[in-house]
Amino acid sequence: MTSIIKFTPLAGALNEGPNCYLLQVDEFTFLLDCGWSEDFDMDVINNVMKHISQVDAMLLTFPDIQHIGALPYLAGKIGLNCAIYATVPVYKMGQMFLYDLYQSHHNIEDFDKFTLDDVDSAFDKITQVKHNQTITLKDKGLGLSITPVHAGHMIGGTAWKIIKDDEEGEIVYAVDFNHKRERHLNGCSLFESSGETWSGKPPQLMITDGYNAMYQQARRKLRDEQLLTRIIETMRGDGNVLIAVDTAGRVLELAILLDQLWRDTRSGLCAYSLAMINNVTYNVVEFAKFMVEWMSDKIINSFTDQRNNPFHFKHLKLCHNLGDLAQVPQPKCVLASTADMECGFARQLFIRWAADPRNTVIITSRSTKGTLSRTLVDDPTVSRLKLEMKKRVPIIGEELDQYERNRAAKKATEVKVFEEESSDESDAEEPVNTIQNRHDFIVPNEVPKKSGSFFKQLKKTFPMYPFIEPRIKWDEYGEIINPDDFRMSNIIQVDEEVKAEIIKTKMEVDKTDSNPLQSVVEEAPTKCVTETVFIEMKCTISFIDFEGRSDGESMLKIIQQIKPREVIVVRADTKTTKYYAEAIRKALTSSGVEVFTPAVNEVVDTTKERHIYQVKLKDSLVGTLRFSNARDSEICWIDAKVDCSENVNDSSKVLTDSQIREAKEIADKEEFTMDHDGEDIIASQKSSNAINTQVANIIPSLEPLSIEDTPGHQTCFINELRLSDFKQVLTKEGYQAEFIGGVLVCNNMLAIRRNQQGHIDLEGTLTEEYYAIRDLLYQQYAVV
Amino acid sequence: MAEFEVEETPHNDSELLKITPLGAGQEVGRSCHLLEFKEKKIMLDCGIHPGISGLAGLPYIDFTEPEKIDLLLVTHFHLDHAGGLPWFLQKTTFKGRVFMTHATKAIYRWLLSDYIKVSNISTEDQLYTEADLEDSMARIETINFHEEKMVGGIKFWCYHAGHVLGAAMFMIQIAGVRVLYTGDYSREEDRHLMAAEIPAVRPDVLITEATYGTHIHEPREEREARFTNTVQDIVNRGGRCLIPVFALGRAQELLLILDDYWANHPELHDIPIYYASSLAKKCMAVYQTYSNAMNQKIQKQLNISNPFQFKHISNLKGMEHFDDVGPSVVMASPGMMQSGLSRELFESWCNDRRNGVIVAGYCVEGTLAKHILSEPEEVVSMSGQKIPLKLSVDYISFSAHADYKQCSEFVRAMKPPHVVLVHGEANEMNRLKLALNREYEDDPEPIQIHNPKNTESVQLYFKGEKMAKVMGELATTKPKHGDKLSGILVKRNFNYHILAPSDLSAHTNLTMSTLTQRQSVTFTASLSLLKYYLHQLSDDVVVLPLSNGREGLRVFGAVTVVKEQNMLLLEWTANPVNDMYADSVLAIVLRVDTDPQARKIPVQRIAKPDLNREFRERLEVMLEGMFGEESFKDPTSSGPDQINLEVDGFEIHINTKTRVVSCAGDENVAEMLEESIRRLYTTIMPVETV
Repeated sequence: MTSIIKFTPLAGALNEGPNCYLLQVDEFTFLLDCGWSEDFDMDVINNVMKHISQVDAMLLTFPDIQHIGALPYLAGKIGLNCAIYATVPVYKMGQMFLYDLYQSHHNIEDFDKFTLDDVDSAFDKITQVKHNQTITLKDKGLGLSITPVHAGHMIGGTAWKIIKDDEEGEIVYAVDFNHKRERHLNGCSLFESSGETWSGKPPQLMITDGYNAMYQQARRKLRDEQLLTRIIETMRGDGNVLIAVDTAGRVLELAILLDQLWRDTRSGLCAYSLAMINNVTYNVVEFAKFMVEWMSDKIINSFTDQRNNPFHFKHLKLCHNLGDLAQVPQPKCVLASTADMECGFARQLFIRWAADPRNTVIITSRSTKGTLSRTLVDDPTVSRLKLEMKKRVPIIGEELDQYERNRAAKKATEVKVFEEESSDESDAEEPVNTIQNRHDFIVPNEVPKKSGSFFKQLKKTFPMYPFIEPRIKWDEYGEIINPDDFRMSNIIQVDEEVKAEIIKTKMEVDKTDSNPLQSVVEEAPTKCVTETVFIEMKCTISFIDFEGRSDGESMLKIIQQIKPREVIVVRADTKTTKYYAEAIRKALTSSGVEVFTPAVNEVVDTTKERHIYQVKLKDSLVGTLRFSNARDSEICWIDAKVDCSENVNDSSKVLTDSQIREAKEIADKEEFTMDHDGEDIIASQKSSNAINTQVANIIPSLEPLSIEDTPGHQTCFINELRLSDFKQVLTKEGYQAEFIGGVLVCNNMLAIRRNQQGHIDLEGTLTEEYYAIRDLLYQQYAVV
Repeated sequence: MAEFEVEETPHNDSELLKITPLGAGQEVGRSCHLLEFKEKKIMLDCGIHPGISGLAGLPYIDFTEPEKIDLLLVTHFHLDHAGGLPWFLQKTTFKGRVFMTHATKAIYRWLLSDYIKVSNISTEDQLYTEADLEDSMARIETINFHEEKMVGGIKFWCYHAGHVLGAAMFMIQIAGVRVLYTGDYSREEDRHLMAAEIPAVRPDVLITEATYGTHIHEPREEREARFTNTVQDIVNRGGRCLIPVFALGRAQELLLILDDYWANHPELHDIPIYYASSLAKKCMAVYQTYSNAMNQKIQKQLNISNPFQFKHISNLKGMEHFDDVGPSVVMASPGMMQSGLSRELFESWCNDRRNGVIVAGYCVEGTLAKHILSEPEEVVSMSGQKIPLKLSVDYISFSAHADYKQCSEFVRAMKPPHVVLVHGEANEMNRLKLALNREYEDDPEPIQIHNPKNTESVQLYFKGEKMAKVMGELATTKPKHGDKLSGILVKRNFNYHILAPSDLSAHTNLTMSTLTQRQSVTFTASLSLLKYYLHQLSDDVVVLPLSNGREGLRVFGAVTVVKEQNMLLLEWTANPVNDMYADSVLAIVLRVDTDPQARKIPVQRIAKPDLNREFRERLEVMLEGMFGEESFKDPTSSGPDQINLEVDGFEIHINTKTRVVSCAGDENVAEMLEESIRRLYTTIMPVETV
């Protein structure tokens, strides 16, 4: 039997592109993640499109754009139709990420990559699963099962294990994992030494990223302190703090951290305001409240014991637009999406606040190269920045008239053309058309002097955004309260700016129609403009790592513990990938690991001849076995004779699953070949027979050998002794034992050494203790 | 006459699967079952009997040894399933692990805390205190629905069971045999819970509740209508309506129904609905948080607003806050009116005809709720007085237990070979058993139904074929009949693998180690002398070329002997055979070093040891002793490898090389002589290395 394993990166290999990989296991093809870059690089899509027809199932790991970004495009524009598996939080938060991404772009430009409906239709295909749930695949994937395990980093974050026939080593896809415990998440359970999630076998293949391979972050405590100091310093100086963070992943960790800081009376922060802004803030926080069981033990226990839900924020204000945010008194600390600052409120606020030396911009993740965040991380001292600024402005004056005229004319023609068509359809199409039409004549009209790159010499900054300084009104009871601030945000407000409501309405209405969207658009026709602005960088920029990924050193240690037989390194630039591959090879020399570093579209074929067959152990043999314990297994030496004679009529036999499956597999194959012969009907009958006969036939049994026939064998000592453990054993037995220069010296007479390969050296003079200690040493092993 | 053979006993203990109800066997309440298979012990639920207080209400724990139980699984938070847990965890020797779902754990904490408070008033013999309960929390681990866990080879996971929030059915798999324990379940989707799932894998044994026996529930719509109509009737006639309920579980369903009904009937708005439970108020947060365990409908609703924020129902803190004027609807716990607020209200309302009580849940034998269903003239109050029963009593079952229809469908969907009925009154259970038996009477795949009493075991035998997988190097060639197979058998979680030692680290988490031993001993004699003696010990003594003037020997191809000044260093790789070799080498070393006699050997013999000559000499001495000097024939006739004798007229030829004796005429003599020569040879000649 051969087991085919082929791996093709479609993006994010030998570079920091989005995660998107094709993995073929026998006849079954998985698409591991389908991320998209911040700039919606069509190469990724084109690449995926070539293979999309062969994909049988898609496995998602994290809810961010990096890992699921291309999903709505594939579902909406290409008609992706395969099973998609994701954990419940990845499903919920993934939607939030995509809604926010769409809305952030829609707020400033005409966004055509996908629509909100595409997001919904993509997510309808997702099968929601739990961590450690085993999903047995059917049909083509017969004999395969997949299990998501906790990977940290983001809520619901997953590493996937693909297991074949329960037996051959697993395939593990683990990227961006975090082994450290955080405020809201437990560390990943990839390498639990207790072996609960791990089958006790090293995986066949591990696909992992090298993003952090050459990177060490400071200790968490240090970073927390750094964040606190930055915030306090800025706020005391009457400046605002902008924290660029993602929509629904890492933001949860930061939100909890900041809310806790604000609650802490000693921090002296409660005088200032704290806000979180993106297009779906309310929903993100609501969903987070429902997902306590996916969070850290501490949070779960605190909820069970005191009914404290950490997402019932005390200080954090939830904002959905700049209007909301303007209501929050200055100075304020704002968590804004997106982390890369390529779009969204983070970018808008950055443009607005960067020129003020009192302000601070905190970047929490390095994002990918070329994004605004990365540019700032790489060069925090930059004094002037050229940025492209897009915005959506209402149409006025002449333009508006023309727009109206145009629309009326269009409607007239539409009515004629689509008279027979249903009204829904024409309604739905309309906004798209109008937007395109508008664009055509706006460009020459309003922004001729700003749009082209010909006008670089214009150094003066342009007015950026219609900004109204909120004037706070006071009376003897304090600030006058605006009831709108306290209104549940799911009530639809007729506010031209409130684009976030569109989403919410959508969810309530459950896509019965897209009228609200339309009405908003129709009420105030808008156009999108792009301008290039130069920003004087006066504010403080600081990068504090809240990415929640394991650092390079830990990643290597984890791999060392997992001991995969083959490793594929993806998603790191060429230099880092090579470095990491070398480091893995070095760390795992003893087990002879193979490391692959494919480039995009380069196929890694690790197809192997499988050496495995099943035997039955006869009771007469089992009776002779004397097991000894080694870790969590029992082992013994077995000498046996293969007996292939059939004893089929063993009715009391309990068939194990894998046997039946195996038999079915064979049967299916037979059926398949029969199909070719055009004997469908007989084939199906035969296959059922095959199940019966194969199960009974193929399994040879083992019976004991007579003593004369038993060949001798080299004795094996099984276990890996740690000298420190043995020292304890010795001390317990009353021997004096201490380490002198890495050598365990007992009673000043015996020396026990452990060399690099794990060999143990026992050295000493001839004494009684020598034999006693040797016996103890032997007891540490299972000797067979 | 057939002979009795011990090996042929049909079953042995390793195939025995034992299911013993320690509670809830032919009764309802104190659910607790023991599952034993392959030396694993699993306890399912640990409840208390709601009708019996104190220690007597516990399951029969003393029928087992708690310290030997590996695992305890709790299906849901009701007292009759989880009520005994703090006692079991804190007051017994139980050391195993406990699992329940997140929602169950969160509610368990508050429910039991409430139970402690309530029972404080009524009984003196507390099973456990609030402190015990808090301590027990740390020991309880949580499991998500569908998440698989493995504890010491026991694999288990859980499915949604309906019934109440967080209720789970546990599938337990040991060595390939699967047992499904349903706990309490309902196959009917209601306003907030989903219906119990039908597992995709077929269990070998199904332990199912039999609460409702052969009863069939009325359809949900009818039942809800009857309920709301009854409530309306009572309040319309100016009466007070008491609905005794379990504080959590079905109560939430009833609240949803009432709130919805009141919202649709504005004429009722001036009639207050009270929910007298601080506990339910506490647990609302749990209901709001663990919505993932509820049905799709409510999850969609939760995205918008919280259906558990009731508009027409107010919370009642206690009797003292209750302004009892005019008609009202009061939901109060406990559900069976054993004590507490529902009992108090009942006693103060029971002699007014206008009032009514609606028993909405299942009632256990021996409780007041069960008693009034038989419509007695009088009831005994808490204080012992007899009071007349005048209020109307209605029974509308909202308890989310499976009825006969659901149960039978459930069994049919899975077709387990064995069904064990628990959690049902003896009569009901018997009826269910008969009904199910009838159903599968003519079925080609018969189902065996068991309904054990408490502490009576159901014994099932699962003859597990021990299957092993041969992997790696050993599996490179297909097995043929008669092939020999040698390797390491690894048994882990009831799975067997056979591997070559070299493949061990590739396929398991085990590693093979090498141990080297180095022993030093003082040695003053010369190495050549030692070599001379070692030659007598072993035929495999090789001189090792060593640098810087040291000398070394390798004996048996395993033990290296190096002399360094006055020390001798023995080095070998440890294994039992090599250890033995080393010990014998050491014995020689010690003898040479300490025995002055041993050193008195002519130098030329040391230089040129000839063991064959020595053997020949000794053999001749032996033969002389055996047969006398005269038996030696003419020495000239004997060759270098040949000795010829003549004894009693027989001619004997002995080959000293092959040690074969031929004796014309008497085989016995030859045989005897050959044995003697063999013994002499093994005594004198060195050991051949294997």
